[in-house]
Amino acid sequence: MDIGSAMNAMRDVAGLPAHPIIFQILMIFTWIFHIAFVHIALGAAGVAIYGYHNRHKNPHWERLSLAMIKVAKVSVSLLIVLGVAPLLFTQVIYDPQWYASNVLSAAWAIGFIFTLIIAYCLWFIFYYFNHGVLRPNLIGYAWIALALFCLDGLIMHTLSYQAILPGEWMNWYAPDGVLDMSGSKLHAIQWIRYLFIISLSAPIIGLFLIAYAQYFAIRDDFAPEYRQFAKDLGQTLTTVGFGIAAILFLGWQFNHSSATNLVLHPLGWLIFIALIGMVFAAQRFATKLHGYLPLVGGLGVLTLLAIWREIIRIEYLRPFGYFITEYSVNVDLPSIMLFFATLIGLGGTVGGFYLTLLYQAGQTQGHYTATKLVDKLGTFAIAILTLWIITFFTYGIVIWLANYFIV
Amino acid sequence: MDVVGMYPTWYVPNIGTAWVMGIIGVIHVVASHTAVGAAFLFAFLETKAYQENAPQLLNFIKKYGMFLLVFSYIIGSITGPGIWYAISVASPRGVGGLIHNFVWIWAAEWVFFTVEVIGVYALIYLLGKIDAKTHLKLTWSFALASWGTMLLIVGILSFMLWPGNENWYQTGSTNDAFFNLNFFAHLGIRTGSMLVIATLVGLMVASTEKELALKASVVKFLAPIGLGGGFFAVMMFLYYIRTIPDNSVEMLHAHLLPVYEYAMIAVFIAATLYLSFAWWQPKYLSTPLAIGMFLFISIFGVWPEERIRESMRKPYVVGQYVYSNQIISRDVPGKNITGEVDKIAKKGLLALHPFIPQRLRVITDNNRLEVGKLLATIACSNCHALEPGAPLRNIPDKLHRATDADMIAAFLTGALRHGAQPYMPRIDLPEAEIQAIAHYLAAVNQGQNVKRLIVEQRAAAIKMQVAN
Ligand code: HEC
Ligand code: HEM
Repeated sequence: MDIGSAMNAMRDVAGLPAHPIIFQILMIFTWIFHIAFVHIALGAAGVAIYGYHNRHKNPHWERLSLAMIKVAKVSVSLLIVLGVAPLLFTQVIYDPQWYASNVLSAAWAIGFIFTLIIAYCLWFIFYYFNHGVLRPNLIGYAWIALALFCLDGLIMHTLSYQAILPGEWMNWYAPDGVLDMSGSKLHAIQWIRYLFIISLSAPIIGLFLIAYAQYFAIRDDFAPEYRQFAKDLGQTLTTVGFGIAAILFLGWQFNHSSATNLVLHPLGWLIFIALIGMVFAAQRFATKLHGYLPLVGGLGVLTLLAIWREIIRIEYLRPFGYFITEYSVNVDLPSIMLFFATLIGLGGTVGGFYLTLLYQAGQTQGHYTATKLVDKLGTFAIAILTLWIITFFTYGIVIWLANYFIV
Repeated sequence: MDVVGMYPTWYVPNIGTAWVMGIIGVIHVVASHTAVGAAFLFAFLETKAYQENAPQLLNFIKKYGMFLLVFSYIIGSITGPGIWYAISVASPRGVGGLIHNFVWIWAAEWVFFTVEVIGVYALIYLLGKIDAKTHLKLTWSFALASWGTMLLIVGILSFMLWPGNENWYQTGSTNDAFFNLNFFAHLGIRTGSMLVIATLVGLMVASTEKELALKASVVKFLAPIGLGGGFFAVMMFLYYIRTIPDNSVEMLHAHLLPVYEYAMIAVFIAATLYLSFAWWQPKYLSTPLAIGMFLFISIFGVWPEERIRESMRKPYVVGQYVYSNQIISRDVPGKNITGEVDKIAKKGLLALHPFIPQRLRVITDNNRLEVGKLLATIACSNCHALEPGAPLRNIPDKLHRATDADMIAAFLTGALRHGAQPYMPRIDLPEAEIQAIAHYLAAVNQGQNVKRLIVEQRAAAIKMQVAN
């Protein structure tokens, strides 16, 4: 049976509740934040472990390691929750690919969850016994946790990659016509792509460290030597990291399926230039720029990567006749409005309140008292939440009564 | 081209994908209800501490908060996507149906999640570091946001059972799907249980408190909340079972209550006695008791709940239009959906299913057993294990180990073909496919080594091909 027509038949029968391009944009956009925190988490974990082993060489290492243990812990929570959005949107427009890929490696998809739980718990134990001072003997937990995080990234990669190789699905599901329903294999790994994406952890944590040094500049308990130490390390990691990433990226460029012509696509080369550009830009970070600015460059690279992944997917699926724009659409306005109102109204105010509060409190040495702005934001956050809940119930009760008692 | 949009199948021997989901589901339910419930208890306690100027309560919260953070948020936030992964690989078309009806609701839910994860860290790190009033706002906004996630998910979960009337099928509108007949009852059960679970967790933490007065004040504060929550949940459950469809009522009375009724009553009585005792004699609340009761109530309370919820939906996974075995059961004009049962009856799964190896598309003497096994896996294994004696309603036992292929075929062409069993899908297949399934099931029941036979027959087929 022709897999192209099969894929079109495997699309959900209900169609989409909004135009496919909207989901595509949201998918690309939200994935940027997922991968950014993947990089911060892996990078911070790496720096924490390295610092741990070097803690006797220089007291700054101990302090930085302690800080990075925490950063990794928080970042993993964030990467998980930020992964949910692209997970949702991928399944909306690429459901045939995503589900087929997952079912074919189902045991790994489930294993992903359990290994992630174990990895997080191990990291948490490591954190729990290492705040304040570093203690010996627990570093094994950190190593295992980091290895498992990388394994989970590999599973993620495999699921993404298998999804764009529909021509192979039947060979994986029934090699030589003999069915294998165990879902126990990872069928396709493009190592160069995986390594490239993971390698960005080094420069991204580098950029993070530069911003870290800037953020704490106004706190007296962060001595200039320590901040300089973090910043220097950040700069080294950024320069070397983007350099290595550029080489790996070049390898990936020549690894695309030749049928796709992706090697000639301008965006790929733009990414290469951006990576090299970041290597050179990193030389200037030390003196001239504000510490947050390089982060913007990093975000730019990740944005290009997010778009590039989507172009790759489109090109790989093109020969099979799969186009998201052909998905049937049944627009559902009420739920669209619910989402955007929640995102802007509630995400903006409540999220804004938390972030501003954390930002300001973090810069304050000792006790923090809310500024007028934060105080107002807090009141506003509660008001918006209450309003949201009241609207939800009023609206719901009206529909419910209309459906079950009036009609 | 004629095709039905089915996916490959993931088969888990003995327990089926259903139990994989059940296990992750239990962990998730315990964790997420703890999270939401604890958010509220946190808010109550902090308000009390603020009003009564009782900083020792804040210390308790700090301890409690650690637990909340470690236990519920981490586990909850991982197992949440976990359930999603599990249902994706168990019921791809089921989860696809949910996603395509509710993507915007889920997206709104994601906004809440993201805000909450930031909130939980803010809550813990800033406790005692910032002024009390701002922290209180933080805590309350966090609690309300947590409940918001529950409000949104409950509508989706209850739609899985059914919309409750014909409207949605005609309009296809998320409004009608989301605020379905049992939405409020379901919300009530979950809100009540969330308070119970959170209380149980609170008591575990309180049990470790050395200072007796503080311990007593916390326990006396929590226990009535748990008791009230439990009572409310039970009331709501009784209302809930008035809002479910006939097939669920049948399933409940014929298959579920006989198995789970006593366990549920036992859990209710045990929980009531435990919380009353703690309320009355807080100083005797020991940590082993608190942990033991938490495990007992959460496992023996939540496992039946999850199994019942899953089983009651049978034969459907979603909205009474997608069968558990991934076949669309009926038309939904509001979404331009047409049922697939009749089409499959006419042309057969072998012809319409995209993931059938070519050599199995036509039944021969040399592949009948293998095809039978494949078809049984596709058509039945979402609900039944195929191994004799296996825990997930295994078919051999359900057939009383009948060894006569004709008798089994009679069941398939009788009850199943006509959809006479309210809890089983209407499975109507062409004669040859029925014979293959019956042949396979009979072989299993005869105790034959089916695996080896299939290998031998495959080899024989290849030999024949080469000879020709
Ligand atoms: C949607 C889920 C579902 C599917 C798919 C399904 N069944 Fe069932 N089946 C049930 C349930 C539920 C019961 C009753 C449960 C119990 O006894 O615990 C049942 C009971 C049975 C029984 C016992 C007789 C009876 O009527 O109670 C047999 C035999 C049976 N199923 C065979 C099959 C076969 C063969 C297939 C595949 C062709 C199949 N079932 C597919 C859910 C399903
Ligand atoms: C430690 C844990 C994780 C790591 C290291 C990780 C890493 C990655 C990487 C490297 C990719 C890109 C793969 C590629 O393009 O080849 C990716 C994609 C993705 N991740 Fe994660 N991830 C993790 C956890 C999660 C979780 C928990 C979720 C969901 C809740 C998630 C959702 C996604 C999604 C949806 C994609 C895109 C898939 C696609 O577009 O096909 N990730 N992740």
